[in-house]
Amino acid sequence: MNKKRLFAAILSAAMMLSLAACGGGDKGGTSGSQPSGGSQPSGGSSTSQPSGGDGEKIFIPVMAKGFQHQFWQAVKQGADAAAADLGVEIYFDGPGSETEIDKQVNMVKDQMAKNPKAMALAALSTDAVKEILAECAEKNIPVIGFDSGVPDDTSGAVKATAATNNEAAAALAAEKFGEHEGLVAKMQAATSAEPVVIGCISQDAVSASVTGRTIGFVNKMAEIAEKYQPGKVSIEGHTLWEKKVADPAIIIRVEISATTEATAVQTAATSLLGAKGLAAVFCSNEGAVTGFLAAVSDGEDLAEGGRYADLVVAGFDAGAAQKNAVRQGWFYGSVTQDPYQIGYKAVEMAVKAANGEAVSDVDTGAQWYNAENIDDEMIALLVYD
Amino acid sequence: MKLNEKKIDMQKVLAPAALVILYVFFSVVGDGFLSMTVFKNILESSYYIGFMAFGVTFIIITGGIDLSLGTVMMCAALLGAYTFKQLHFPLIVSLLVAVLVGAVFGFLNGVMVAKLKLPPFIATLGTMMMSQGFGSIITKVQSQTWPTATEPVGGWFKKVFIRADLFGVKGFPVGVFWLIGFFVIAALILHKTKFGRYVFAIGSNEEAARLSGINVDNWKIAVYTLSGIFVGLSGIMYAAAYTTITPGTGNGQEMNGITGVVIGGTSMSGGSGTMVGTLIGVFIMSVLKTGLSNLNLQAPWQTFFTGLVVIGAVLLDIQRTKAANRVKKS
Repeated sequence: MNKKRLFAAILSAAMMLSLAACGGGDKGGTSGSQPSGGSQPSGGSSTSQPSGGDGEKIFIPVMAKGFQHQFWQAVKQGADAAAADLGVEIYFDGPGSETEIDKQVNMVKDQMAKNPKAMALAALSTDAVKEILAECAEKNIPVIGFDSGVPDDTSGAVKATAATNNEAAAALAAEKFGEHEGLVAKMQAATSAEPVVIGCISQDAVSASVTGRTIGFVNKMAEIAEKYQPGKVSIEGHTLWEKKVADPAIIIRVEISATTEATAVQTAATSLLGAKGLAAVFCSNEGAVTGFLAAVSDGEDLAEGGRYADLVVAGFDAGAAQKNAVRQGWFYGSVTQDPYQIGYKAVEMAVKAANGEAVSDVDTGAQWYNAENIDDEMIALLVYD
Repeated sequence: MKLNEKKIDMQKVLAPAALVILYVFFSVVGDGFLSMTVFKNILESSYYIGFMAFGVTFIIITGGIDLSLGTVMMCAALLGAYTFKQLHFPLIVSLLVAVLVGAVFGFLNGVMVAKLKLPPFIATLGTMMMSQGFGSIITKVQSQTWPTATEPVGGWFKKVFIRADLFGVKGFPVGVFWLIGFFVIAALILHKTKFGRYVFAIGSNEEAARLSGINVDNWKIAVYTLSGIFVGLSGIMYAAAYTTITPGTGNGQEMNGITGVVIGGTSMSGGSGTMVGTLIGVFIMSVLKTGLSNLNLQAPWQTFFTGLVVIGAVLLDIQRTKAANRVKKS
């Protein structure tokens, strides 16, 4: 019976030791790679490095909103690449899901205890990290927002944000429409008697990202269309963007779905597909794409010989259904955000801010993908399932 | 016999020893782990788990279990914030609402277990889902926020429960007073009152307790309700630490509380346990989590190691029960 108790004691000791071994091993790994840290940031001037930074790498925690989506994996790859390029040490982490606010708060607190030179943060809740931000402001630890950033920050700790400019990203789709020969020919041939319709499907007129994309696309498309039919481009469909002209030759029609549900988007898409002279459609997010695909027999109507085979379609974001439509050539192409750049720029700006340089908001850009480049290594990283 | 007593004493020091070893270990290998900031982080992430664990210690000693801890805590925090932010109740009333929510669900658990004879596992599984759903229904699945420190109305909330400028220390962790205060209350109830003695009696042998004239059903209801009050308080501490409460969360939080109790040496089969053990168990968990995070081991690793510790703790519990049985026989 004494043996049993001894066993219990040994067991617990072994448990602690195994912890020690694992933890210690990992630590050894990171510190082992540190001695090579004499390298200076390649971009910035070495004089602007903080004092006492000799041989010691700048440490920057990068706190994401999640981890499991491919999106965040791409952000991490970008952040890691920037850290390697600039010779800084980063720690990338995020909670298991986007509802675990407490986990993220603890994570950020734990990293704050290490007195980082700067921090990159995509906050799940600005309220929950308010005091941490105040502490950052007080200790002069610059915070760089990334992705959705830290909205409504009042502490002044957040110096800049690296995020997608949705207007510019959606304008990219309009530009691509302007490069499509068939569509350009149609726009040139358009008359007031037989106007050409270019549609834009958005799932709401409320959310900032979708609204931004709608504005971006509509404005750029109108600009391009004006080149071929000056004074004859009409914007219709939703009062928010309406700019009607008499006897238009090109009509840009904005179709906003009643609710964000797929069936409502499908109804909106069906109504748009009924428009005479419809030549092109832009769907402003994954939800819009899903609803649109439902309205065209899961995309089969867009294929060779289908009812809408001539229709030029562009999407936004990714997702399995959209990727399939692009890969099959049913879609002309789609726009995707660039999470890799979001991660890269966030770290790059954090390093700059840590070195006392001024930083400002940066557009991390967007990428156009189509059947040809969808499987390229760089694009495959950006388009999630 | 003398030798046995000595051995049992050695087991009692096992948990505190583990806590010290862990703390020293992380201080040595960690990056600035041995600092006031990290110590405060450990404290602040322990408050709500501590309150949950204090409450459920009573239940586990009676041989029961409460799986609804986490979601009831969130429900309490959600409804408290809802009454404050949406219904504009005075903050003090909202705090009472939070405690009341905990007490009501605790009472419900108690009635189901004691009167309706539902197994505690099933009864509390039911309230776990009910409380989660209830919180979402009332708040219409909208996140709720408690006042932050700088808000004109209710700004005292954080200063009272989490940190304030006190004794010339900026951001003094005042929550520790609440934790220690309620620890003392819980320990006194468990170890120094009739209530506590009955808790142990019911846990060691329910039938014997009944035959000796204890109204087991009523005491059980009282135990679950008391635990519910502690869970309501844990909701307040959670809110003080994390401000924003998301509906539909809380699943899995109960395991933080239960694990703390088990690591602290309270037997899952009931009849034995101490409140000080629970306190130490909770700190072991927090030190472990904060320490692993300090070593830059990402979240999945922390979960993995916590799991390892749970298994280790339960194995210890089994050994302990066996040993205790042998002592009884000899």
